[in-house]
This record gives sequence, C-alpha cells and structure tokens, in this order.
Amino acid sequence: MNGPVRILIAALGGEGGGVLASWIVDSALACGYVAQRTSVPGVAQRTGSTTYYIEMVRDEGLSPVLALAPTPGEIDLFIATELLEAGRLIQAGFVTPDRTMTIVPQRRVYTITEKIALADGRADSDLILSAVERFSKSRRIADFDALAAKAGSHLNAVLFGVAAQMLGLSADACRRKIEQDGRAVSANLRGFDAGLAYDEAPAPGEETANVAPTGGDFPFAGDFLAGCSAETRVLVRAGLARLADFQSERYALAYLERLARFKTMPGMSAETFGELARHLALRMSSEDVARVAQLKIRDARLARVKAESRARKGDIVHVTEYLKPGLYELFSMLPAPAGRGLLRLAAWAGLEHVSAPLRVRTSGLAGFLQMKTLSGLRRLRPVSLRASEEKAWIDEWLAAVERALRINAAAAHEIVLTAQLIKGYGDTWARGHRNWRLIVDALIAPGLAGRIAPAHLADAILQARLAAQADDRGTRLERLIASLETMSLAPAAQGNVPA
Amino acid sequence: MAEISFKREIESLTLSEGETFRGEGIIAVTKALLQSGVSYVGGYQGAPVGHLLDVLVEAKDEMTRLGVHVEPCMNEAAAAAMLGASINYPVRGAVTWKSIVGTNVAADALSNLASPGVKGGALIIVGEDYGEGASVIQERTHAFALKSSIWLVDPRPDIANIARLVEKSFELSEASNSPVMLELRIRACHMFGSFQTKANKPASFSAKQRIEAPAEFEYMKLAHPPVTFAQENDKFERRLPAACDFIIENQLNEIRGPATHDLGVIVQGGLFNALNSRLEAAGLSDIHGNSKLPALILNVTHPLAPKQIEAFCAGKKAVLVIEEGQPDYLEQAIGQILRKADLQTRIYGKDVLPMGGEYTQRVIGKGLAAFLRAGGEPNEALETWLSGLERHEKTVREALGAPLPARPPGLCTGCPERPVFSAMKILKNEIGPTHVAADIGCHALATFAPFDQGNSILGYGMSLASAAAVSNLQARKPVSIMGDGGFWHNGLLTGVAGAMFNRNEGVLIVMKNGYTSATGAQDVPSSAPSPDGRGGEADIERTLRGMGVASITRVRTYDIGKMIKTLRSKILSRGKGLEVIIADGECQLARQRRIRPLNAKAVADGRRVVRTRFWVDPETCTGDHSCIRLSGCPSLTLKSSEDPLRKDPVVHVNNDCVGCGVCGEVSHAAQLCPSFAQIDVVQNPSWRDRLKQRIETRIIRWLGGAALT
Repeated sequence: MNGPVRILIAALGGEGGGVLASWIVDSALACGYVAQRTSVPGVAQRTGSTTYYIEMVRDEGLSPVLALAPTPGEIDLFIATELLEAGRLIQAGFVTPDRTMTIVPQRRVYTITEKIALADGRADSDLILSAVERFSKSRRIADFDALAAKAGSHLNAVLFGVAAQMLGLSADACRRKIEQDGRAVSANLRGFDAGLAYDEAPAPGEETANVAPTGGDFPFAGDFLAGCSAETRVLVRAGLARLADFQSERYALAYLERLARFKTMPGMSAETFGELARHLALRMSSEDVARVAQLKIRDARLARVKAESRARKGDIVHVTEYLKPGLYELFSMLPAPAGRGLLRLAAWAGLEHVSAPLRVRTSGLAGFLQMKTLSGLRRLRPVSLRASEEKAWIDEWLAAVERALRINAAAAHEIVLTAQLIKGYGDTWARGHRNWRLIVDALIAPGLAGRIAPAHLADAILQARLAAQADDRGTRLERLIASLETMSLAPAAQGNVPA
Repeated sequence: MAEISFKREIESLTLSEGETFRGEGIIAVTKALLQSGVSYVGGYQGAPVGHLLDVLVEAKDEMTRLGVHVEPCMNEAAAAAMLGASINYPVRGAVTWKSIVGTNVAADALSNLASPGVKGGALIIVGEDYGEGASVIQERTHAFALKSSIWLVDPRPDIANIARLVEKSFELSEASNSPVMLELRIRACHMFGSFQTKANKPASFSAKQRIEAPAEFEYMKLAHPPVTFAQENDKFERRLPAACDFIIENQLNEIRGPATHDLGVIVQGGLFNALNSRLEAAGLSDIHGNSKLPALILNVTHPLAPKQIEAFCAGKKAVLVIEEGQPDYLEQAIGQILRKADLQTRIYGKDVLPMGGEYTQRVIGKGLAAFLRAGGEPNEALETWLSGLERHEKTVREALGAPLPARPPGLCTGCPERPVFSAMKILKNEIGPTHVAADIGCHALATFAPFDQGNSILGYGMSLASAAAVSNLQARKPVSIMGDGGFWHNGLLTGVAGAMFNRNEGVLIVMKNGYTSATGAQDVPSSAPSPDGRGGEADIERTLRGMGVASITRVRTYDIGKMIKTLRSKILSRGKGLEVIIADGECQLARQRRIRPLNAKAVADGRRVVRTRFWVDPETCTGDHSCIRLSGCPSLTLKSSEDPLRKDPVVHVNNDCVGCGVCGEVSHAAQLCPSFAQIDVVQNPSWRDRLKQRIETRIIRWLGGAALT
C-alpha cells in the first residue's frame, strides 16, 4: 500500500482505547514502521465519545510528515469499541467501501438520551449493523465483549488481537509489547490471543436472555389457545401463568373469559387481539404491595441475585430492598370501604403524601417475615380497594375498545395500546392515569360519540400516546391536546355512531 | 497526586545526550525545558497541557538534582506573575496553562510582564483548546500576543521540531527581552513521537545555586509610569526588530518547495501536517513534506518578519494564507506588509476557507482546491476526492436517516456530585425552578441530560459572582455551584468576598471532592495531606467562617434526603445573606484508586470485607426509567425485558457499580419504585456471620421460603 496506513479508533472515555492505540503503535514500530498516534481526550475521558488516530508507514530512514487528524474517505482500519460509536463515525463519512476494514463489537452502551426515554428510546442496532456491512470494505462484527469475558480480559486486548490479524503485525511483537507494558499482562495476553484466533464464526446475538413464557399448562385454556396465532398463544400463556401466580387459577380463568368475548368480535385483528391479551394480563396483575412482596421472596429471584453478586464460594450474600410504600399503596390493600375511609381521613389530616422509607433485608429472617406477611395480603386482594379500582379501569378501557371496534378497527387498536401508559408506582403510576384520563376525555370519548371523524381518531390517539411518553411533566401531551381541540375535526355522519 | 502515574514519562525526562525520547508531545516540551536550563516552572492544570506540570511535580528527584523550582500555582494569574522573576534576574522560567481561558485569567500579569520585558528567557506554554475536543470558548491566544507584544510560536507538529522551538524560544525571549508564548493544539499535545535528546542543563541560578543579592532598584523594570511610556516605544523600536532578525537568522520559519512558482501557501506551523496530507492527495507533495507548491511554514506567527514575507511573495501571482480561527490576524498583517512593499501578489485566505472552526484536512482540502482553481491550476485529484465525499455522505444519510444520538461526557459511576444534582432535580419538581449559576469543573457536566440545569457559566470560580445581580433582581434566591477547584482558583475572593461585602443573598454549593477532578485529580489546598500529595488541609468551612459566612451546612452528598431538606430551607429562607452548603464527598475515581488495592489485599489476607453493589429487580421494574432521569449513573443502564408481556426495556445495573447507593437513595427520596436492592457480599465471613446465616436460613426454609446459601 503506498502512503501511510491510517487507523481510526472510536471509544468511550475510560475504556482503554488509548492503551489499544499505544499497543498498535508500539508493535508497528517493532515491525519496522514509523508510527504516530494522537487523541483528543479532554473531559471526554468522563464517559463521553472520544477518538484516537494512528498513521503508520514503512520506515525508510527519512522522518515522514504524518497527519494528526483522520480524513474522511481515507481510513484503512476503523476500530470501534461500541456499536453506536461506529455508527456515528460512519455517519461522519470516515468509513468507505473502497478501503475501510471495520472491527466492531455488537455491544451497546446506551447513551443518556436513549436511557431516559419513558418507554423504549434505544437506537436501532440493526440499522447500524447494516451500515457497517454496507460501507466497510471488509468487516469483523462479533460479540467481542463475550469473547473478552470468556478469555477473562478486557475488550481492548481482544480488539488488539483482531487488529493485529488484519494489519498483519507479527503476533510475537504484539505479545512482547503487552509484556513490556507490565499491566495485567496475562489477562491481556489471553485477550489478545482470543482476538488473534478469531475467525468470522457466526457471532452470538445481543445479550438479552429471552426466557420462554413460564406457561404452566392450563387445561381449560386448551381449545382457546388452539384458535390463536402462535404469537398470541405465547402472550396468552404468559398471561395465564402470570395471573394464576398473581392470584389464583380462577382469576386466570376470568382473564380468559374476558379475552374470549373479544376474540370473535367483528373487526378484531390478530395483532390487536395479541396486544389486548398482553395489556389485559398486565393490567389484571398490577404491582400492588402484596405482589411486590410476593416477588421479593422467590427462589428464582434470590438465585438470580446470587448469580449477579459474583460471590465466591464461602461468601455470604445479603439482599436489602429499598421500599417506600405510600399510604395509598398500603390502605388500598384493605377492603374498599375501610381503605376509602382511611384515605379520606389521611387527606383530611393532610397526610396523603406520607410514606415509609423501608430497607428490608429479605435475605434475613426479619425481612423475610415482613415480606411474607405483606404477600399474605393477596388473600384480601379480591375485596380490596385497589382491586375494585383496577377493575373499574379495565372495564372502562375494554368498553371503549368494544365500542371503537364497531366504528373503526384502527382506533380500537390504538385504544388497546393506551394501556401502555399505565405502569409503575407512585408518581409514575399517577402520571400514567392522569395522561390516560386526558386522552379519554379529549379524544376517545368524543371520538366514540362521533364528534371526531373515525378516519382521524386512530391517528389522534396514537399522537396523544406518543406525546404522553415524550416527557414526564405532561407538557407535550397538553400542548397536543390543545392543538387538536383548535383543529376542526370533521364530525362523522350521525348514522354510524353507537348509542 | 494526579489521576495517572507518570513513571515512564519521568524516566524519559532524565534521558541524556543522544538518546531517543519516545512519548507524548507535551512531555517532549517538558524534556526540552530541562534541556534549556530552566530555573523555575509553574502553571495551572488543564487539558491539554496539564501533564507538563503533573509530571514535573512527580519527578521530584530530577527536579531536586537540577534545582528547578516547580510550583502548581493557585491560578493562571499567579503563574504569569511568577515569570516576574525573569524581569530582574538572568533566569529562565516557563509556565503553562489552558488557553484561551487561562490566558484571560493571566492577562493582567502578562501585560505587566511584557511592558518592562525580561532579562532571562520567559516562556509561556499554552494549550490552544480549539476545535474538536475543546472544552472552552473558541477564541485565539494570538490576540494577547498582539496586544502585549508577546511573541507567539506555533510549531509544526513534529516532536523534534517542537523540542527545537522550545529551546529557541528561550533564546528569542532573551535576544528581544520579550516573553514568548508557545501554543500547542490539543492533538499536538497528545501526539506520540520521538526525538534525539540532549542532557538536562542545570541553571546557573537555581534552588541549589541561589542568587547572592537582590536586584538593583531599576525603575525601568517596573510597569509603572513614567517608564511605561518608554517601555511602549522600546517594544517597537528595539525588541520587535530584534525578534524579527532572530527569527530570520535562526530560520525559525521553514520554506519548502521550489523557489519560483506562481502560487504559494503561507501556513501556521501547527497546521502544516494537515496541509501536507492534502497536498499529497493533490499530488503536490510526498510523505516527507517535499512540496511542489512553495510553502512558508510559520513556526512563529507573531511577529512576522516583513522581509521574509516580502521575499516569499515576490514574483507570485497569489498566496493562500492558512490560518485557523478568527479574526484573520495573519491575513491582515500579510496584506499590510505586501501593500507597504507595493507587491501585487493576490491574497487568498478566509474567502476560500471558513472564518471559524477547526481546520481539518477536509476543510483545508476544500480551501486548497478553491485556491488552486482561482489561481488557474485546478487540481483534479482534490476535486474528485471532495465530490466523492459529498456523494458518499449523501448515501450514508439516506441509509442511516436521522443523526444518531450523541454521547457527551457525564459524571462518573459513583460520582459524589451526581446526588447533589439528583436532589436539585427532585426539589425542582417540588418547589419549581431556581436560577442556577453553573461553573467550570466536573459539575458543569450536569448541564447535560438528565439534569439539564444551569442558567449561566461565566468562567472558572465565577458562579457566585455571576449571580450577584440576579440575586438582587429576582424573587427567589439563585443557587451557585462551585467546585473546590474553582473555590481556590478565585471563587473565594471574586465570589464569596464579593457576596459578603455587598450583603448579597444567595445559596452557594461548594463541591468538596478533594481535587480538581476534571483536570486529572490534582491536589487543592483543601485536599487531605498524603505522602505524595501537596494537600495542606486548608479547611473550606473555617475559611468561610473567617470571612463572616454565618450559615454553613456540611452535607454528605450521598445523603439525598438531607441534601433536599437543606437546599429547600436555604433556597426558601430570606434575610440570611449568603448561605453555603459544603457538599462533601471524595471524587470516586480517586477514591477507587485508593481503596481498590487495599480491599483486594484485605480479601487476600483473609480479612472480612463487605463488597456492596446495587441491583434492579427486572420483575418489578416496569420500564419507566424515572430512576435514570433522576440519577444518570453510567452503571444504571437498560436491558431488554425477559417478560414476553413487557416490551419496554427494564433498568439494569451493570458490574461497574461501586455501590455508592445513589440509585437506592433516589428511589427513596423520589418515592419511585420497589425495584432497587442492595447486594452485600461478605467476603471471608466471620464465624458469627456464618452461624447467623445458617440459623436464619434454616428457619426461612422451614417457613417454606427460599434462602441464599
């Protein structure tokens, strides 16, 4: 190759991208190159994006003039320590099909903007992967993170191995540099060799354990399930299992009966029905105090904690829960009249926001007993205030879906999805209900009453749902609803408005 | 002690005659200082030049051997003032800081240094924090060089050339009795290369060879009337011509390419490598910088030697001035030189290149192409490269659609400052917004998501001062945030003294993390004393009391509940004057560096050690992520839900967690959800631990529960 070999490394601050760059440069020097590296760390070292740039050219005695910054369209090897970083530099034009070899792990380290979304704000990994495929001359895409874990080393050592392989650097020279470094030598050597030995084997997918639904068999559901699509079957089974565990088999049966009514309704698509099955199961098992307590003292859960804790043999593991049930969470478990009374009393005394910060060591006897007692409240659940309120909500929601099905299937689908807004605890839970009520009053009710053209209704509800999930202060939703109200939505013909 | 250890670098500083230095640009500068026989070195930390001082502070032995006085100054003004030693005495001194901001702080001392001029070489090494990776306002140090008649060196980024120019700068300074600034761009500071070393030169006067007698009283050495008038003339009648002669005689600037050609390029030294890469692409140069297009490489950008400019431009139809940043000082100066010499050479510059922004190869290539076109020598290779790029970018845009999310820096995992901002955000939801005067330091990262706060940043340690008028014009008291770095840098006087003196009301939060963490955890006067540190345990609280601040509350930052309570009462109170919260929590990076090895050893020795980390229960997490919106800890991340009924990703604590507990505290303070759990791993448990565990497990099992074993 005439001219220098140009290498661009994209990393996150504090990830060892600098060490990777120095390994490459030092090995290149040892292999008869003149090499130069630069970087722009600054505060980026604090978890932000940063890049390292290397130029290396065969040593001919004369000192070459090497550039300090990468040039778009002139990168021979591009290494990213994370998928989105790769995507952004591809977007900046540094990766070109005529010359760029790309090394990138499938791992994602989510940015804060992705993480703070109220629902799912993650960037589309597949889109980025396809861009790597398309714009690189050649590529090594794999779960190098897992490879590193297997080798018990850091990611950068593995990437060094892959890079050495692609650059044709002498493996011994590279190993010597790692040894001269003197830091975590054996781990880095293991990682390097793992990377060096890597050949494009089909890479394992992103780490997201997709456990199959714990669908215990429900004989009574057999025929019903038979009539469902495969996807729906998974959901319904999961729903049944969840509800049987949440309350009882009879409760699960009630779920099935509710579903059965809708299954055969005209205008009900398989997709809508699947979503209905999903959300109905979730709404029928809303996380009240008893449910939370029940989950906290599960075998499976404690086993999971143990695994997560990376404890060695002989270590003792303690789990302490951070709980802060408010008065509502507690009183709403009582029989409806009592619960209502106490809550009114609390409101009168101005105590409605009182809550009890608890740190419960569920791995200990005392904590276990507390949770055991709380989980016992599920026997009271059927007559509890919370249950009656949840039931009222579900009935209103289902009724709206049912009426919408007679007007416009798309609108019905969107109404089903509004259940997404109801989740969480405390403020989150209250916010969800507030937003949902806003949408019902401003759109769903008028829509079902024929004051909004069916054609517009579905889209309006969709927009409202997205707006409700855009920020946690409800600003976007209020603005949207205000704008919809000013918008003149043609009233539908009175004919097809249900009574 | 600083964030990283400089063991290797220190070794490279002691290399002697004819050995090969291999290392970072800024360390090469440091080595060159020692080769130049400096008597004293000072400065204020900050990227990209911070390492210069860090490494010298650590290189105690060599500094003692050479008798070099090393001083991490309290701020850049102090560093500039330290150069005063070279006004009266024949001693070489160097100071360093991040520019433009540091130069702004130093400006007063610089003027007073430059007016009388210097006897011993005075060198100021500034990190020109401009372009990609820059963290400060985009201005040029050049302006200060011009106004104070300080010479400005902008070396071609080749380690050997940089080292040469460090040594030459001292000679230039002494030959023209003027201070010299050497500016290095970020990438040049962090560029790794090599050069042939010389032995370090002990200064004739040093901490070992002290000066016998104080200097004679000489009014000409004082920046004070009436001599300031004479000094002004001296700058232009004697020092400037002397500098120009020195620059030419010592060939500080380089000329490459054929002697005669219609076109030519005049380029800042620091930009030559980028230019050469484009000349190569155009087939007008090679990897060794043998340009076919005449190039005048200005390793010194102020002053310009008119003779040299005239000689280079004579006989050329047009020259391109490649000068990064605004305004176009060089272009103006060169234009004026040519006009005075009545040369008709056409000047191109900011008309084919952008006025502002970093001059990347892309930018320079575009300007060069336009210049060659205008000069009648259009270059096909360049044009093809550029049009190819545009085509490629269009395809990529279509493939990837909207811009992918950016990744700004953030507070580290376990950072003690995060809980303060969590508290402020929770409180904001309760009592509504408050004017927040932000400052420079790690805490400035709270201007990014998820905290998105801060109404102004007026400079390092300036937050309280910047809130002075606001506090008297607004219904609610403003909150000013200041790190202990900014506090000692100047916030104590410009802020606290000012607020007390003017009886301003307001809340000041001092982040006491024990270091200037953003610049690499250097010590501050209030740092805890350590064997290899400089911390003197100057106490911030006592200092404030001494200045008459009555209301001071010290809060452990991780105690979010208490932080909220304290903030609420101080923000809402009236008539209490300045109220201070000392937010106490050691920088987690520094802390981990300190305790990790200790813990590891303790575990190895079989002692009982409890390791704590946090965990989110994926079964109770409903994927609303409000915990992340209130914390933003890097180790608090997302994971696809394992529950087929749930689509939204659940929160997940990864293994970087240091167990600071902020996420749990937040879930309590904001009453979020029951998903946070603290995992304590008791390593080498005692027999008591084991017995208790065995008994409880037994009973829990018997009660039909699960148990951890």
